[in-house]
Amino acid sequence: MSKRGLIFVAITLACVMLAGGWVLAASRDAGSETSKARVEVEADVPPTVSAPPGSGRNAPVRVAGRVLVRAVDARDSRLNGQVAEATLGDGIGSATEVGSLACQRVHMAAEAGLCLALAPSGVEYRARIFDGRFKTRAEFPLTGLPSRARVSPSGRWGAITTFVSGDAYAEAGEFSTRTTIIDMRAGRPIADLEKFEARKGADRIDAPDFNFWGVTFARDDDTFYATLATGGERYLVKGSINERRVELLRKNVECPSLSPDGTRVAYKKRVGEVEDWRLHVLELDSGRDVALSERRSIDDQVEWLGDGTIIYGDERSVWAVRADGGGRPRRILRSAASPTALR
Amino acid sequence: MYQAESAGVLLRGGRAEPKGRNARVPRNVLLLGAVSLLTDISSEMVATVLPIYLVFALGASPLQYGVVEGLYQGGAALVRLASGVFADRWQRYKQLAVAGYGLSALCRAALLSVGVSVGAVSGIVLADRVGKGIRTAPRDALISLSAVPERLATAFGVHRAMDTAGAMLGPLVAFGVLLAAPGRFDAVFAVSLCFAVLGLAVMVLFVGDRRGRAALDRVVRPGLRSTLRLLRTPLYRRLVVLGAALSLVTISDGFLYLGLQRQMDLELTAFPLLFVGSAFSYMVLAVPAGRLADRVGRERVFVAGYLLLLLVYGALLVPDLGLTVLVVSLICLGAFYAATDGVLAAAASAVLPEGQRGGGLGLLLAATTLAKLAAALLFGLLWTVAGLTTATVAFAGALALATVVALFVVAARRPQEGHV
Repeated sequence: MSKRGLIFVAITLACVMLAGGWVLAASRDAGSETSKARVEVEADVPPTVSAPPGSGRNAPVRVAGRVLVRAVDARDSRLNGQVAEATLGDGIGSATEVGSLACQRVHMAAEAGLCLALAPSGVEYRARIFDGRFKTRAEFPLTGLPSRARVSPSGRWGAITTFVSGDAYAEAGEFSTRTTIIDMRAGRPIADLEKFEARKGADRIDAPDFNFWGVTFARDDDTFYATLATGGERYLVKGSINERRVELLRKNVECPSLSPDGTRVAYKKRVGEVEDWRLHVLELDSGRDVALSERRSIDDQVEWLGDGTIIYGDERSVWAVRADGGGRPRRILRSAASPTALR
Repeated sequence: MYQAESAGVLLRGGRAEPKGRNARVPRNVLLLGAVSLLTDISSEMVATVLPIYLVFALGASPLQYGVVEGLYQGGAALVRLASGVFADRWQRYKQLAVAGYGLSALCRAALLSVGVSVGAVSGIVLADRVGKGIRTAPRDALISLSAVPERLATAFGVHRAMDTAGAMLGPLVAFGVLLAAPGRFDAVFAVSLCFAVLGLAVMVLFVGDRRGRAALDRVVRPGLRSTLRLLRTPLYRRLVVLGAALSLVTISDGFLYLGLQRQMDLELTAFPLLFVGSAFSYMVLAVPAGRLADRVGRERVFVAGYLLLLLVYGALLVPDLGLTVLVVSLICLGAFYAATDGVLAAAASAVLPEGQRGGGLGLLLAATTLAKLAAALLFGLLWTVAGLTTATVAFAGALALATVVALFVVAARRPQEGHV
């Protein structure tokens, strides 16, 4: 054999050993994960304050109720996802892991839950629909990476937003979002929002750059709000599941979350920079828009804990802030994200 | 140690061929194909897991990553042109190709390094793309200089088939690694590095360098100016104009898949299958299309490829298309790539002076890439303003017109004028 041939055989052997050894070592490791992220309730969770919202600029945020979260570990993201339930109120709190679900995004209402989880293969995600005892009732594969999950107050409908990347021969690396409505009873997707009829005033509009995300449901099991991005603008849209249509309402509203009384949406507003958001609450009838006291950029679809409190995650902790713009944000849970208020 | 001849027989599917050197796929072309196959396994492994890695392991917002990629698209074409020009100037096709493959292999090693952040990964992806930009034109020049003129398109077909095979194998390998070691992206990057190193080893150890004889006699060394002067050559100019004009009325694959998916009301999870289907068709048909092009004329096969694309546009306009139409569309799309990508490079190689193949191929690539980018923007705009159907009809009409004109231009030439 020639000298070159020998060199090549040597390189090949080295590569096979490196690749094989690495995969073998990794596969042994993967089975022996023992440590797990644990959700901790913040020691000084503020006691329930009975003062009505808006009674004073400095009244503390009211925090009481049960919250479903997913555990996160800032140092090792492979440990993320275990779903836990935390009980808050009157200065005491506890967090317990429930079931064996591990989710990238989780939401639940009326004993019906939606969990977006990494499949065992590690290269794709699956949606799991679970019941009040956190047992999986149905599951189906997802296209793309989990971004948002929401369940309607009655547990009838669900909504999933995923990020989808372009294919190798397409516009490389370009991400777009897909948002689908889920029939929680049947356990399957029933509609893609991009196929809904979109209207801006009297005009019907359509464009290839349509991207929907962040659905929030009303109590009537038909109306929903969401974000539609097109032509560089992000609109708040109001839609009807039955009529398969959406209507553009207002610019620069992302990831809306409808208040329990259905009169306001809390959302993130983009300010200046591409990835810089501030939490706001918009009164739907009057159009009055209030900035919340959280000064950091928050990339989350927030949740209402009662009609006066907003809770949200920053991928490390869960925070609470008053919905009327007063007070200061308080950290309520550590090592937790994706909060759902259980009612 | 490399049985080029017997592998060549395999690739031809054992069909009876005229005897003689011309019938064989040159060893160097097969070696370059092997390099591309190994490198594509490596890069597609990473491409498959990168979005999940960024979001799952690094907690990135996927949109951040998209911005970087989008910005790079236009620049890529110019890197290819520059690399081709320098390869001509120095007459060092192999060294420049090695530099490109080497840079990409280094990027795999960088991904393995600890403490990688979102910004660093974006930088690595960018460097990887620069590496790809650097190697493309010199590698195509090497293919063209390794093959006999009569069988240029076959040589490119063999290379593209092996290249596409690698692109299809990559995701499978990544999937296998993650199945063995769930969530261990580092294992994927390690295996990917090994494939990249193997590709680089084949390139460095076995691929023979080729030099364009004509250029060595010249007093003036080739540069950007002399590359642009190639456009004065009527045969080459015609190919550039033909390639750019047809690219300008091409709906990008992203939009085609989106259109087919909407038309079919496909499950969203079926989306990646559209890519796999057309890539498979491309892989299988690349060699036959190249052989056909060598026999009946490369320009003819190239233009005929666009007729196949026209069929795909037609499918987009059929309401409620069935599975059969979808499958036929995907086969046509793969056949379109088989009839155009390598064949255009072969046609251009045939009319370019040997010493200026790098710059000439780079310029052709830059022209078609920029035209495709413009087409994507135009189609997106048209869709927004007038709707999907109108945009498709407009592009189909323009493509039909362009193809008919191209057919007349090509048919006006007599076959005796050479194998172009």
